Amino acid sequence: MEHRSYKTDLWVDWCPGCGNFGILTAVIRAFEELSLDPSKTVIVSGIGCSGKTPHFVNVNGVHTLHGRAIPFAMGIKLANPQLTVVVHGGDGDLLGIGAGHFVALGRRNIDVTVIFHNNGVYGLTKGQASPTLPLNTKTKALAKPNIQQAVNPVALALSAGYTFVARGYAFDGEHLKNLIKRAILHKGAAFIDVLQPCITFNDVYTAEYYRKRVYKLEDEGSWNPVVERPGDRSSKLLKAIERSFEWGDRIPIGVFYEDAHTTTLEERFSQRLKVYPAVAPSNSRIAESDGRPVVDRRRFEEVFREFIVDVEGV
Amino acid sequence: MPREEVGVILGGPQGSGIETSMMVLTRALARHGFGVIADREYFSNITGRHSYIHMLISSKSIPRAVRYPVDIVASMDAETLFTHISDVGVGGYIVYDTSVAMKKLEEIPSIEDTTKSRIAEKLRGLGVDTTVSSILRFLERERGCRLVGLDFAALLRRLLARYRIEPRLLSRYVSGIIVSAVATLLNLDRRAIEYSLSLQFGGREELVEQNLELLKYVEDGMQSLRGAVALEKPRQSFRKILVATGNDAVAMGKIVGGLRYQSYYPITPAADESFTIERHEYSSVDGVDVGPVVVMQTEDEISAVCSAIGAALAGARSATATSGPGFDLMVEGLSWAGANEVPVVITYYQRGGPSTGQPTRGSQSDLFNALFAGHGEFARIVISSGDHEEAFYDAVEAFNLAERFQVPVIHLLDKFLANSIKTTPLPDVDSVRIVRGMVTGGGRGYKRFDLSSTVSPRAFLGAEDTIMWYTGDEHDEYGHIVEDPENRRAMYSKRIVKMDMILSEIPRERKLTVYGDEDPEYIVVGWGSVKGAALDAIEALSRKGFRGAYVNVRLLWPFPGREVLEILTRVPSNRVVAVEHSYGVLISDLAAMAAGVRIRRGVAKFTGRPITSTELEEALHKIITSGVERVVLSYGA
Repeated sequence: MEHRSYKTDLWVDWCPGCGNFGILTAVIRAFEELSLDPSKTVIVSGIGCSGKTPHFVNVNGVHTLHGRAIPFAMGIKLANPQLTVVVHGGDGDLLGIGAGHFVALGRRNIDVTVIFHNNGVYGLTKGQASPTLPLNTKTKALAKPNIQQAVNPVALALSAGYTFVARGYAFDGEHLKNLIKRAILHKGAAFIDVLQPCITFNDVYTAEYYRKRVYKLEDEGSWNPVVERPGDRSSKLLKAIERSFEWGDRIPIGVFYEDAHTTTLEERFSQRLKVYPAVAPSNSRIAESDGRPVVDRRRFEEVFREFIVDVEGV
Repeated sequence: MPREEVGVILGGPQGSGIETSMMVLTRALARHGFGVIADREYFSNITGRHSYIHMLISSKSIPRAVRYPVDIVASMDAETLFTHISDVGVGGYIVYDTSVAMKKLEEIPSIEDTTKSRIAEKLRGLGVDTTVSSILRFLERERGCRLVGLDFAALLRRLLARYRIEPRLLSRYVSGIIVSAVATLLNLDRRAIEYSLSLQFGGREELVEQNLELLKYVEDGMQSLRGAVALEKPRQSFRKILVATGNDAVAMGKIVGGLRYQSYYPITPAADESFTIERHEYSSVDGVDVGPVVVMQTEDEISAVCSAIGAALAGARSATATSGPGFDLMVEGLSWAGANEVPVVITYYQRGGPSTGQPTRGSQSDLFNALFAGHGEFARIVISSGDHEEAFYDAVEAFNLAERFQVPVIHLLDKFLANSIKTTPLPDVDSVRIVRGMVTGGGRGYKRFDLSSTVSPRAFLGAEDTIMWYTGDEHDEYGHIVEDPENRRAMYSKRIVKMDMILSEIPRERKLTVYGDEDPEYIVVGWGSVKGAALDAIEALSRKGFRGAYVNVRLLWPFPGREVLEILTRVPSNRVVAVEHSYGVLISDLAAMAAGVRIRRGVAKFTGRPITSTELEEALHKIITSGVERVVLSYGA
């Protein structure tokens, strides 16, 4: 497929040099290589610089509310499980205002991919500290050093129940593209923490900073993040969590954890709803051709018999 | 002499099976062919606080509202007797446990102190001691009540002697004593009780048998009272009847209407609706799928509304259900749905606010919240239902309106309707129609927000060869962010002018219905669950020579100002009375704003208890016969 086809012709209005360009390119290349059908693919985003991502990609796009991309994505995916759903959100978006939804997605293990644009600041509102900016860090827009601690997104995703957890770097395009492909192909909730330099507001975690420090987990021959058997879950999780706290001189990128044995929410629903996901909310019949509901009088009495009393007039 | 109607209060501590008593009695009465309505009053509490069921049973029709005084007070405990001393009428029957006779008001910890002192003061005024026995003597002496004292413990011991029942489960059978006593007074047929018990305890035959045995013991002790409060032969001819709450009626309506995604966060009094939907999330009837409905309990109401919107974008009929505090959390999502012309339904059960307020009590004070919550201007539809039957059809219609006009729809109900149980004729589902509005398969170059029509043809996410964008930002026809002023003018207006379209396309009977006299001297205006009491009050007053009409407003937004104005100007302005479960009688302000009509007379009730037919009749009588402008009601424990 031609490279341009996954890119809209809108002018991309991020700051020149923004890490988001790297993420956008990696996403588009991943979609290309997976040959995703644009009409069966949906990018769902929140608010902020990352929120604009769907407009730049030529697949369905839903640019939602601050922090709420995950709930929108959940409704879309559960209603039509055939869709490939990719969430884009920033650190303020997904771990500040939207942290509750972020955790809930892990518990559900819905088959969606979350790409986390992690730049440590609220860019569009001019550089306030975000939930991933470490304590006492003073980026240039801050009047005083950051007074709140940072949350570790990888450790949080692991403990919340995401079954694919990885970290990428915005300016290592080839590596990030491969992570995105693997995340999309993973069956279950996938999370990629993408280290994304903000050229305008984050003068601490810059491209220069990351370039010197990131290393690839897979370069360590002994690193195996894949849960081979369900019984391995806790040991793999503990290793992944431990590694997620490595930060400073060396910052690991790559896959931290991958578990294909946990059921997805869609599979759990199929246990109860029998015909799901083949027959799903988006494609099940609700009316006859003349508009009469599928639930006619007889079916009504059958389905709702718990509410019906046969009158005897004794 | 047999009666046309009988009022009953069943009272006891929360968690003691009072709801079971209500269900068993109601289904047995329905089996006979009687009409029943039962209001459920309870605290925000799991175990121990006073709850009661207020029923009206009718042989001639389906009752529309409850009234005072009642003919039977059946009590599980002393608190019921202290609390409902004023509620029983002359010649009424009091069922009680003889072991509580010596209980004193002061000893009952579950009665709130303010209530306790109010009751104590009332008793002092009546010259009655604060013991159960003196209350009973008073009721017998002054009100001619018949006392039906039963030794609950002895009855249960007899049961225990015959069946192997774990002693700690014995208290569950107290609800059976209440059922048995009331059934005996009403002279209900044993087979009807058996039928009802079988429905209640489906499959647990030993419970049916034990409860029937208990019925025998209670009947033995009440030989002379059998049929003391008998009803006339039922005059209705339904072969089948629904026994359901308002929550259930909405759940059934939603499923018939094609609901496919329902989200919720647990909140009273909305959660029961989602429970009912979940029980019926999928059925296969003769190989035909009814469903599947994905029911999601979300992490909060924000997720509830946002995921419902997401499901709607994918083409599912989707909804969420909540009450005031939850709706407040949904408002940002509501505005997004308005901006993106998403057909999503929010079923909004009002309860007593502000804040947690009275979480298990009823209210209509969120009218303006439903109408005006949200930032920016956009079209929405707010409908309300006057009773269980309307609630069913409106639940279907909410989806039709949402999809026809591509707007969020709020179905505004309240706790009274949600939790009250009523016998209702089976809905005529064959008359229901599913109308999905402008739907397209999309295609290349698809414009989701095509400006060539007010309602743009809607393709679903996932449509073949179709790509679309949605954004909360102002957008162009494709759904991309655009801040151009001319586009803003066109797109912003497109969404708002739908209001005119809605008003011109919704038929009059869906906007409001008028009941009562065709040539009224006075007109009552209300919405939602006021309907039943209003119709009863107007009928009662017409028997006293006052010709009245009731305007049941069903479309609250956009407000049908022209139709309301046309009706209200039929009588002098001092003959128009608004009625509402609120302090402000907000529908008056709405009429002033949207129809230019000043309604100067009002009946308000904001105790959290329902407006009863009796007190509304008195209030209306006072207003139309004297210069009184405002009556505030407060009856009910």
